[in-house]
Amino acid sequence: MQFDRRTRTEAEIPTASMADIAFLLIIFFMVTTVFSATKGLELSLPSKEQDEQPAEQEDAVFIHVLPDQLLVDCKPMQPQDILTYLEPKLTRNPEKPVILYTDPQAEYKDMVRVYDVLAETKGDENPWPFTVKNISIPTQSEVEEYVQLFGQNPFEKQCE
Amino acid sequence: MKIVRQRKAQAIIPTASMADIAFLLIIFFMVTTVYDVDRTNVALPFSYNRVLNEKGAAIVVIHEVPKSGVIEYKFSDGKNPSQPVPSPQEVYFEATRVASVDPSKQFVIKADAQVRYELVDEILDKLRQAGVANVLLLTQQEPGAKG
Repeated sequence: MQFDRRTRTEAEIPTASMADIAFLLIIFFMVTTVFSATKGLELSLPSKEQDEQPAEQEDAVFIHVLPDQLLVDCKPMQPQDILTYLEPKLTRNPEKPVILYTDPQAEYKDMVRVYDVLAETKGDENPWPFTVKNISIPTQSEVEEYVQLFGQNPFEKQCE
Repeated sequence: MKIVRQRKAQAIIPTASMADIAFLLIIFFMVTTVYDVDRTNVALPFSYNRVLNEKGAAIVVIHEVPKSGVIEYKFSDGKNPSQPVPSPQEVYFEATRVASVDPSKQFVIKADAQVRYELVDEILDKLRQAGVANVLLLTQQEPGAKG
């Protein structure tokens, strides 16, 4: 009787579907990947216990962000001109407070624009000879508290 | 003289390196993909000066739904995905809970550039009341700015 010699099948990993799987994974990652924003402007809030008195109007630089206008010490100004205006004042008195008061109806980006200009004087690459150290951003509830105490809004400079 | 008939080379696309390229792309996406706790599509304001937020920072989202104009608030403690919260008062409760555990924790405000400032102001006020000191206003890079 003659035995058939069995032909040995070679052991191999089937790779025919590898490209399909690989492209499926690529498409999955491409669809799910989002570029997340992770940077912004730092802001330090005062503690709730801190009983902060508003800076005296004549001692502070008052920036009023309105819906369609920006006033710096009652003068209409463009955001890029604020630092030029502040330079002589803050070089003389580096501790001079800057009050950034934004009208509730103004857009958030208007406030960010001005705060960004003030933040330019911070950090290692500050091109200005001074730093805006003391920025006060009164919130609406603080304003209301002071209105109850003083009868007028101390953060709102009375412009003629 | 015998003329040798030239053999026509078959037109084929070389696919030998396809798997290498595919796996290179997979590895790239796997390495660069980060798990984001908040994926709300917000039109952030622009700024030139930007600092990196702290890892695991809590997030407060203020988003104006297009067309309807409804304001949506979301909160994330930095570990869990952001969840809608009905009002700024709820943000205050959540922020108090987080800040009581870690008072130095950073809170990131992710708000639409076009929203009225009073909405952001209200959130800032609630965060201050909750004992939060470290806040970051999330922005996108101003076109033409470096870094």
